[in-house]
Amino acid sequence: MITADFRAMAESDWQSITDPSIPQIFIGMATCGEAAGALSIYKAMESALIKNRIKARIHKTGCLGMCYCEPMVDIIKPGQPRITYKNLTPETASELITDYLINGNYRPDLALGVWGKELDGIPNLFGLDFMKFQQRTALKNIGVINPEDISQYVACGGYKAFEKALGTSQQNIIDEVEKSGLRGLGGAGFPTGLKWKACYKTQSFPKYMICNADEGDPGAYMDRSLLESDPHSVLEGMLIAAYAIGCSRGYIYIRDEYPLAIKRMAIAIDQTRQYGLLGDNILDSDFSFDIEIREGAGAFVCGEESALLASIEGNRGMPRHRPPYPAESGLWGKPTDINNVKTLANIPAIITNGAEWFAGRGTESSKGTAIFALTGKVANRGLIEVPMGITIRRIIYDIGGGVPDGKKFKAVQTGGPSGGCLPAELLDLPIAFDSLAAAGSIMGSGGMVVLDEDTCMVDVARFFLDFAQQESCGQCIPCRLGTKQMFEILDDITKGNGKQTDVDVLLELSDSIVRTSLCGLGRTAPNPVLTTIRYFRNEYDAHINDKKCPANVCQALVNGGQVDE
Amino acid sequence: MNKVHLTINDKQLEAEQGATIMEVALENDIYIPHLCYNPDLVPSGVCRLCRVEINGEKMVLACRTPVEDGMVVKTNTPEIDAAIRPIVELIIADHHSTCRGCPANGKCELQKIMAHLRIDRKRIDNLRLPQDKLPLETLTPFLDYDPNKCVRCGICVQTCEKIYGTSHIYFLNRGYDTKIACFETNAHCDFCMECVERCPVGVLIPRRIQSE
Repeated sequence: MITADFRAMAESDWQSITDPSIPQIFIGMATCGEAAGALSIYKAMESALIKNRIKARIHKTGCLGMCYCEPMVDIIKPGQPRITYKNLTPETASELITDYLINGNYRPDLALGVWGKELDGIPNLFGLDFMKFQQRTALKNIGVINPEDISQYVACGGYKAFEKALGTSQQNIIDEVEKSGLRGLGGAGFPTGLKWKACYKTQSFPKYMICNADEGDPGAYMDRSLLESDPHSVLEGMLIAAYAIGCSRGYIYIRDEYPLAIKRMAIAIDQTRQYGLLGDNILDSDFSFDIEIREGAGAFVCGEESALLASIEGNRGMPRHRPPYPAESGLWGKPTDINNVKTLANIPAIITNGAEWFAGRGTESSKGTAIFALTGKVANRGLIEVPMGITIRRIIYDIGGGVPDGKKFKAVQTGGPSGGCLPAELLDLPIAFDSLAAAGSIMGSGGMVVLDEDTCMVDVARFFLDFAQQESCGQCIPCRLGTKQMFEILDDITKGNGKQTDVDVLLELSDSIVRTSLCGLGRTAPNPVLTTIRYFRNEYDAHINDKKCPANVCQALVNGGQVDE
Repeated sequence: MNKVHLTINDKQLEAEQGATIMEVALENDIYIPHLCYNPDLVPSGVCRLCRVEINGEKMVLACRTPVEDGMVVKTNTPEIDAAIRPIVELIIADHHSTCRGCPANGKCELQKIMAHLRIDRKRIDNLRLPQDKLPLETLTPFLDYDPNKCVRCGICVQTCEKIYGTSHIYFLNRGYDTKIACFETNAHCDFCMECVERCPVGVLIPRRIQSE
């Protein structure tokens, strides 16, 4: 067990933060916050505190998910609830120190919400439309705790699920995860329990546990935010998985473009090791396990699990044939379990609350919650965790606050380069693995890009095929040549050089690429084209036949159809 | 060795257990299109052309699937044709050079596939062809490489590693830009010719030894 002393100390420290004797200031410093200027907010508040000789504690937290409100600061003044302030500048941040901490003015003009009952006109944060339709499980700690301090995670119930797991049998844990109905949240949606079971049953040692954090879809940042804001929840999920399956070694494969996530994960690993949660005989049990971070070198395809394995082994990142599946023959030919960041972050809650609790939410075939990075032409952009089965309309109009500037909604793109564009007619489609697949898109890892009337759908398809043809590993012919050919055709269409045969050729190529490609990248790469043809065929026809771009996006076609030769 | 019995395109065959569908078919004069298959090497299954239907239910790669007793294999269904014909057309569209003067002319695997599938040149006109012809590249001091014709089957890479026991050449870049390259400009190459022999389309061209 984590020593009672440590847990007690962590809890009393947390108590002194939530019910403090001196003001506590929380600054959101995930990549999104830092990009919005959190570092200068930090400096401004620090110097304002010094100037005014105020004793206070500053915590660097992660991302609360409300990226549209960054930079954000929370303040707990002794005897007061936690209040979240939004869109601060160094000036308004310094004003908060004098106005609120010294003069007791809540500054409702800068406030976003109170962590509790309404106060002086400041609404309850969790009653806001952005928050109230969410069900946060994997994201429960993000923006709440300091991700670089294990004691805050422990104080919020951290590693209790792992302790509970250690006290039960491996088979029990796997059964529980299987019963919960959890499906992999990296995109493919394979049942997590079945994956664990297959790896558990393979009699070959050592076994490996890998966390796939090679997030690369354009517009998606769920894994990054989670790693930056609550790395211990992912580590705890990995520990439980490794114990259940019998893995002795783990890797976290993080893309090199996420330096802050790598840094925070490295700190988290060091801390867990320090407290005996990693290494030999963890918490005095027979279970030994250690984790190493492996940085990706920039190839999108390395998020595909078998290419990821090749990359860790030091080979060129190219997918392998399956079967054999990694659960039978993975890293260095040994049984390997690979789970996505979000999948792992769900594990502690399943162990703590039980499979029935988890399965009680969501739809028949998609249990639990889905995590999306809501971006694009939507008022409230950010990271959300919603129950499976929620409609697209609720996400975009209620949580997201609709399309800004009075523009009309045109489509929503889910699943990144493997997904598709769904039109306004499908706004009431419930979000689940199967419903999205039936509509021609995929759940994907969780990118959700809202497109308004100023978007050209052919141009969107062109963008994603450009991405796919650059990121294809180049190994199998349909993907390497097919995505390139589709890109060239789409590029020609947007330049006014489309041919009458093009749409048919695109459909025929798509069919062949989907059926014959070696890995998931190729098999799903045509989806953006297939869905835009299915739902926005008129735009293709306008480009090809009338040499017009209805959304006035394609430069060569905007001047009354005059093509620049 | 145990024998298994199977049918390929309604032809009853006897084969050795452990053999692949590709091996059995070729042995019995049943042609299955292929570019990356070579009898001396481990089938990499990247050209995706040897797709066959087994037992009327699923599609597999002939080069990577061992035969089983009672197996019913079809190599020429309309569904197979619909899946692989576009791939062959893509290869031809990308393979922009004339056959005249090519060292592989007459023994080229791509020519064989085109004839087998009766590829219609008109359909290829609907595709976009590469604009520029790329120059020949120096692969090793002894070999030139023609990227215009290369199908990136990987046979030469595997030959260098598995047959000759060296690893002088490997894939470079990714996506469409993937090509074969040498690890170092001055890398050793013993000019064993094994890769040149196995190249299905003749992209490796031995250099004339130049007198000093």
